[in-house]
Amino acid sequence: MSQAPPDLLSNVLLPVANAADARATARVLEPYQPDQVTALHVVEKGEGVPDKTPVEQSEAVANEAFSAVRERFPSAADRIVYRKRVVAAIVDVADELEASAIVFCPQQSGRLTKLLSGDRSLQLVTTATRPVIALHRGD
Amino acid sequence: MSEADQELAKDLGPLAALTIGVGTMIGAGIFVLPGTAIENAGWFAVLSFGLGGAIALFTALSASELGTAMPKAGGAYYYVNQALGPLFGSIAGWSNWLGLAFASAFYMVGFGEYIRAIFGVALSVSVGPVAVTSVKAFALVGAVAFVGVNYVGAKETGRLQNAIVILLVSILAVFTVAGAVRAEPANLPPGKGLTPLLTTTGIIFVSYLGFVQITSVAEEIKDPGRNLPRAVIGSVVLVTAIYMLVLITMAAAVDQGFIAEQQLAGRIAIVEVGRLLLGPAGAMALLLGGLLATASSANASILASSRINFAMGRDRLVTPDLNVVHPSFGTPYRSIAITGGLILLFIVAGSVELLATLGSVLHLIIYGLLNVALIVMRETEVVEYAPTYHVPLYPLTPIAGTVLSFALIAFIAPVVIGLGAVLVLGAVGWYFGYARSRTPVHGALSNYILERRDRMPEPIVSAASGVQPDGGEFRVLVPVANPKHETDLITLACAIANQRDGVVEAIHIITVPDQTSLEYASRHFEDERETSQELLAAAERDAGYYGVPFKKSTIFSHRSIDEIFDAAREHDADMVVMGWGVHTAGRAEGTFEELTHTLPCDFLVFKDRGFDPEEILLPTAGGPSSELSAEIARVLMEEFGSEVTVLHVADDIEAGRAFLEEWSVAHELTNAKQLVESGDVDAEIEAAAREATMVILGATEQGLISRLLSGSVVVDVVEEVECSVLITESAHERSLRQRLFGR
Repeated sequence: MSQAPPDLLSNVLLPVANAADARATARVLEPYQPDQVTALHVVEKGEGVPDKTPVEQSEAVANEAFSAVRERFPSAADRIVYRKRVVAAIVDVADELEASAIVFCPQQSGRLTKLLSGDRSLQLVTTATRPVIALHRGD
Repeated sequence: MSEADQELAKDLGPLAALTIGVGTMIGAGIFVLPGTAIENAGWFAVLSFGLGGAIALFTALSASELGTAMPKAGGAYYYVNQALGPLFGSIAGWSNWLGLAFASAFYMVGFGEYIRAIFGVALSVSVGPVAVTSVKAFALVGAVAFVGVNYVGAKETGRLQNAIVILLVSILAVFTVAGAVRAEPANLPPGKGLTPLLTTTGIIFVSYLGFVQITSVAEEIKDPGRNLPRAVIGSVVLVTAIYMLVLITMAAAVDQGFIAEQQLAGRIAIVEVGRLLLGPAGAMALLLGGLLATASSANASILASSRINFAMGRDRLVTPDLNVVHPSFGTPYRSIAITGGLILLFIVAGSVELLATLGSVLHLIIYGLLNVALIVMRETEVVEYAPTYHVPLYPLTPIAGTVLSFALIAFIAPVVIGLGAVLVLGAVGWYFGYARSRTPVHGALSNYILERRDRMPEPIVSAASGVQPDGGEFRVLVPVANPKHETDLITLACAIANQRDGVVEAIHIITVPDQTSLEYASRHFEDERETSQELLAAAERDAGYYGVPFKKSTIFSHRSIDEIFDAAREHDADMVVMGWGVHTAGRAEGTFEELTHTLPCDFLVFKDRGFDPEEILLPTAGGPSSELSAEIARVLMEEFGSEVTVLHVADDIEAGRAFLEEWSVAHELTNAKQLVESGDVDAEIEAAAREATMVILGATEQGLISRLLSGSVVVDVVEEVECSVLITESAHERSLRQRLFGR
């Protein structure tokens, strides 16, 4: 008996940085009709030193991003995690949720930014233990 | 967010919290100022540092109590704002922000001095009226570098911070021990008297700025109830001890004239003493220490200032646009950039002494206010104020803190006091000119006064109400459903919004059957979406006639009534104006779990039989919502020239007349006709309503509207009269907890 092939979009993990990123990603993803979407925002912790933004602000940014996702996917679930390494956190949450794929829109940033904050897109694609889908920019 | 996640957000242990305080405090102060201090005060300079520490300690105690009660971003500014209201909050916020900028500029100039001492370059270039020395040039470069680091949000500097603090403490410890070995009382330069002691304290006080910053990161501290006071008080005690020992070394381990000699030669006193005690290695260590200290203090101050901006933005004292987070770096880049600009300006414009003392003055103002805030929080007995740490010897401690902080200001150079006063006045001006109309925050103090206005002396009450903020945008939320009634609802909403200078937001809730998923609906209910957009467009056109700012949105939901309540909360509505009849018809909720929802804001429910505000009947018995009803009546009178009749039904006609007169005066409806009848309330209302075109009915009990909407209660009067009925219910009192600790 052959099994039904696994569906890449059955349980999607959607890492979002902010509302604009969330909106853009959700818009591009919508036509592909994933079954279940979980939006994830990782608050980057300093761990032993104060964060860049206060906890309240980080959470406000996350909630805005989640609302933006829900404009396209009204029953999307959401998670906030506080971790030092953003990409590792995304990979761990994907494992925890047994996501079928991690879906994101790579951010366009200059060489300098990539140098200073690390090339996250590359890190995600090379260290993930699940399929990673890089969406194109929709416009 | 789950409890576990909330705990993860706290990752600062007691040591980390302590090093934040110590790292910020041990900065340019101890590496730059001791020479000047000894020059001015002789060996009394040791006492100056001790006195400074003592003054700081009082404030540290108060800050610890406030910090355990209100661990929110913003620290000292936040406490003052909550306790004393936004007028003082404006002063505290601006003083704190500018004070940190001045202090950072001072640290960077110190940094510049150390760079110059290392590389021995001494140039001066004139740029217009200002002489840019090499010191300042290095300071500017350093400032740009540190601001840049914060802008980009490099985490690595954070870990470095802890290492730096440990290194600094070690260097100073070695220095002190070496000095102790050679100390001789005969070396002490003579004390120069009490006044120089006090003025010197004013100058060096900048060395103690930093312990309050621990409270501004209180949300991230583990077990803050215990660790916060330990960190705050501990850092002050530790740093005071270090400072005094260093000063003793500098005063007692070298010959009397040595320091003066070094100051004259323009060399850094502490470095030269180090060279004398420990040779070139000692000098190098201290030079390195000076660089690290100034750098870490500047870094910490820039971070702290962005937190203050965030807190001020949250309270709308400054525009929240200031706190926008950078999409890539995740930092509040605008706040950091502006603070950086200020720092650069101050470096160019000010001398070391000016920067240090101005930074001190502004912080002393905050410290004084902080102590007062503590007293206010305790005395007004704010119920939700529950600190886990209590200052010893209340009220002596905060009173001493207030008096000493303000008193020290008096011993600072008049020019600096003058500048400080100008800044304070500027902050006051800022409040009246900008913040007052935008901030919704009311201080505990003014609430206390106004609640007891009949018992308080007149001038105090008028002062308190005079400076009350009237801010926060007034938002009227209109859930539209039925196209027939949409115009009436919008008209009513706009009339209210107009009177309150507010905005109208229309929402249309498309109810989706439970079996259908919301996604499916969102994608497939094209017809519904189109109808919704038409409906909202019509609403927009109607609102356009009134020139009221308007927003609209469509919401897909499985629920209808609950969604309205949620939307009111989420959209921060001050009032909801909705039609009644359509919602109760297909009750998608099934059984209400809780029959009484807490109303998030004032609710107006309109039984629409045509909108005609010409003759309004307002029955009242002085119930809980009568104030809201009166307000609506006034709005309609203003906007449409309505004739209002106030009706009171009572057995005793005389008493009824008296009541109604008083009520009308109290609610500013003296132009209204007053009608007193006796008999059955409902019957009298129905009789009077025959002449009326609209009846405004205040809910006689809390929770009426939500029960009405769920169909579990029927108000007879509404069914019996022929005209439209507007039912009002006031928002349930938001507990102080909600007001104090956020929505």
